[in-house]
Amino acid sequence: MTKQPTVGPSDSSRYEIRLAGHLDSRWAAWFDGMTLTRADDGSTVLTGAALDQAALHGLLRKVRDLGLPLLAVTHIDPDPPHTSTRRPADPSKDAT
Amino acid sequence: MVPRSRLHERLGRLDESSLAVVSAPAGFGKTTLLTEWLASLPAQQRSVAWLSLDQRDNDPALFWTYLVAALRTAAPEMGAGTLALLESTPSSLDAVLTTLANDLSGISGDLVLVLDDYHVIEAREVHDGMAFLVEHLPPQVHLVIAGRADPALPLARLRGRGDLVEVRAADLRFTADEAAAYLNGSMGLTLTTGDVAALEERTEGWIAALQLAALSMQGRDDPADFLAGFAGDDRYIIDYLTEEVLQRQPAQVRDFLLRTSILSRLTGPLCDAVTGRDGGQAMLATLDRGNLFLVPLDDHRRWYRYHHLFADVLRVHLQAEQPDDVGGLHQRAGDWYEAIGDPAEAIHHALAGGDVTRAADLVESALPALQQGRQEATLRGWLEALPDEVIRVRPVLSVGYAGALMVRGEVEGVEARLRDAERWLTTTTTTASGQRSPASPAEMVVVDQAGFRRLPSAIAMYRAGAALLSGDGAGTISHARAALDLAAVDDHLGRGGAAGLLGLAYWARGDLDAGHRWYADAAASLEKAGHLSDVAGCALGLADIRIAQGRLREAMSTCERVLQMVSPETGPARRGAADMHVAIAGVLLERGDLEAARRHLATSTDLGEHAGMPQNPYRWRVATARLREAEGDVDGALALLDEAERRYVGDYFPQVRPVPALRARVHARQGRWADALAWAEERGLSAGDDLDHLREFEHLTLVRVLVARFAAEGDERCISGAVRLLERLLPAAEQGGRTGSVLDALVVRALAEQARHDLPAALVALRRALTLAEPQGYVRVFADEGRPMAVLLRAAAAGTVTGYARRILAALAPGADSAPVLVGLVEPLSARELDVLRLLGSDLDGPDIARELFVSVNTVRTHTKNIYAKLGVTNRRAAVRRGEELDLLARPRDHRPEHAGTPDR
Repeated sequence: MTKQPTVGPSDSSRYEIRLAGHLDSRWAAWFDGMTLTRADDGSTVLTGAALDQAALHGLLRKVRDLGLPLLAVTHIDPDPPHTSTRRPADPSKDAT
Repeated sequence: MVPRSRLHERLGRLDESSLAVVSAPAGFGKTTLLTEWLASLPAQQRSVAWLSLDQRDNDPALFWTYLVAALRTAAPEMGAGTLALLESTPSSLDAVLTTLANDLSGISGDLVLVLDDYHVIEAREVHDGMAFLVEHLPPQVHLVIAGRADPALPLARLRGRGDLVEVRAADLRFTADEAAAYLNGSMGLTLTTGDVAALEERTEGWIAALQLAALSMQGRDDPADFLAGFAGDDRYIIDYLTEEVLQRQPAQVRDFLLRTSILSRLTGPLCDAVTGRDGGQAMLATLDRGNLFLVPLDDHRRWYRYHHLFADVLRVHLQAEQPDDVGGLHQRAGDWYEAIGDPAEAIHHALAGGDVTRAADLVESALPALQQGRQEATLRGWLEALPDEVIRVRPVLSVGYAGALMVRGEVEGVEARLRDAERWLTTTTTTASGQRSPASPAEMVVVDQAGFRRLPSAIAMYRAGAALLSGDGAGTISHARAALDLAAVDDHLGRGGAAGLLGLAYWARGDLDAGHRWYADAAASLEKAGHLSDVAGCALGLADIRIAQGRLREAMSTCERVLQMVSPETGPARRGAADMHVAIAGVLLERGDLEAARRHLATSTDLGEHAGMPQNPYRWRVATARLREAEGDVDGALALLDEAERRYVGDYFPQVRPVPALRARVHARQGRWADALAWAEERGLSAGDDLDHLREFEHLTLVRVLVARFAAEGDERCISGAVRLLERLLPAAEQGGRTGSVLDALVVRALAEQARHDLPAALVALRRALTLAEPQGYVRVFADEGRPMAVLLRAAAAGTVTGYARRILAALAPGADSAPVLVGLVEPLSARELDVLRLLGSDLDGPDIARELFVSVNTVRTHTKNIYAKLGVTNRRAAVRRGEELDLLARPRDHRPEHAGTPDR
């Protein structure tokens, strides 16, 4: 089984959003101050502060509204070794 | 215009489907395709309702209002009921949707309903409502949903059963042929096949991009340079091309485009206000002619909007080039909207321009209208957009926030908002001149002075409501009293609300006299405020209380009076009329007049759901279940009770006759005591419980269940426990003046004693019950008990209370009470008609007869007409004479014929 980074429904986390096409940096404000990086392959990568799920979906809606093809949304694991050792608490143990 | 017959053909399949989805990103020509397709249909063949959605339509109240308004443009005869329902208070979405589905099925001829830009809808409630509507669309109504995202509807299921037409981006994109037709035809360019192919490839058939490219090339001598630069560029295509187009515009046009890009809709005067220049309408006309992405919103070309994609790019350019001006532009737009009286747009611009103070001012002013229009979702949206510190210094807005929470039954957060407001009230000092001045005037903000004056009362009332919702009766009473003391004499709505809460609290704790008094006060205040439907809501409570007190006549007269109030002579019945018919049917049923009860229940249904308050769906089912049981259809009764339980809406009323308990009674009477016992266990009821008014009906039900079990099993412990519980219940009900419960207890006591073969004790209880019940004409409380009761009644009838007991016996054995078969009559008179005929022989006039029989004057009139027809006469005197000849005037109580055809005289 591959280990999935754990993101809870109320967690904020950093994401990398890759779009097809080069976006001018003046669009940074449109995307609430995200940093736009233009890659050689013709795509643009949006990065920025940690977002919770609602903010992430709001951002994706803005992408949709521009008609820009979405290539990837990647969760950036802040501290990979740490999370890999973390286990979810076993509630049955607390109960006893 | 590029002909797109392949897509028209596909949309044509909507004939056999209920839904078409047109899903593609912005700029793929969704709206254009639909407009052209609809225009291509023969005009007489199909009517079209079109609704373009925007953000504000996430408020369900607005969404359904606009949707019905759009439908009415195509089918003016429909939707009146739905609109009435949406305007009245408080509307239940279920009722709105069922009424709407009914209205739609009444439409003759095919109708296409288009919902454009559906992707802006995020409200879960709207999606759920649409899912219901899609499932209940009549075959002649076809729905088209267009947007940038697939709608949150069960598309896979529709697709699976071939009930879905889909047009997606891959279908919408221009093919090379279509691109050539568009560029060289419509746009008047002269491009080579190679040029067209290059453009088609770079834009991937994205129509908005092709359109921008064409605009960039218009007037160029040689498009080759442009094409070369365009094809070799990776930039976001719309951004790149918009820049090209903007560069080719005169400075004035370019400036106009950027500055007006903040507007979601454009019209000349608004543009002038925002740009600070004249000639806005002429500019719009020029842009329209130049195909610069203006979409006309009306036939007169007065209102436009920019194409969304273009507007987004313009806004980004505006932000990048004139960042300091954006706030000012929004402010001027907001001023303009405020001046023309559109607070919603004014608030939108104040928020978009970051002027939260002004937005808060506007929201506060708009508060009363929003509350009256039940636009809670809109209000919530604005309040949530405002920073908390802005709301907290505005007491009127803080209390408005509490109200918005309470409307949805949310108690959490209410108290904090009320305290925020109260802070300002307690620091307010009274100066020598008697004028109130806040202790720290620099901080508190009040825009709505009248609203501010109502705050002390409003705060107390919301506290009372929150207390009631959390089951705190004492708290409800003290806060509601405070609210009443603080309310101005002419604040009828405020006084009505507070009195109503007091009535509910007293009723819930079993003080029926106080409950009735306060509730009557509430009804009087609400009548003064002109809220007649709410008066009907109060009448439901008043009738419930009177029935609990065993005062059927008063319950009846309350409902009849309010029924007249909500049934205008002309026009549709007001909301609440359906409830009054159900309440009247309930009393008639109790009195054993099944025929009349049936009629009132049918009338309630005929009036439609929009004539009913939130409780009516469940109350109608409870009453109808009782009728079914009386008719002998037990399964039908149980099924209706199951439905009633599902549709139960308490609406702040105490749950004094819970539906599951009603069902347990039916079970007990049917000998299904195990099912009934399971209910009692689930409710945690036992014979040793402490008494509580709110559980009285359940405890009386438990006793019935235990008696039924004893009758079946003979377990002595059950019956002794039951009798002990009864011995506590009876005095409690007597003390509280709850004669309805006293009767109930005496009847079950009689059954219990009978079950343990103590006939004298049973008869003592029964005779007491009969004495109490006779003046009010109770029948079903006895008759519902079936055979065991019949045996007892026969024994009792041998004694002193014969006439009344015989009447109940007649109701117990269906058929025994039918009219005598009489020689000389083609059609016999019904029992009710016989009653009326007898009274026609007296001195009483019409209204007196109506009162005597507990029916309306109109009902007496109808009976009289039928009597004349059956007797072949035309006036009262002749009817009485003919009645005497046929021996129909025997006095009902003393000489009631027990068997058809053998009048005992």
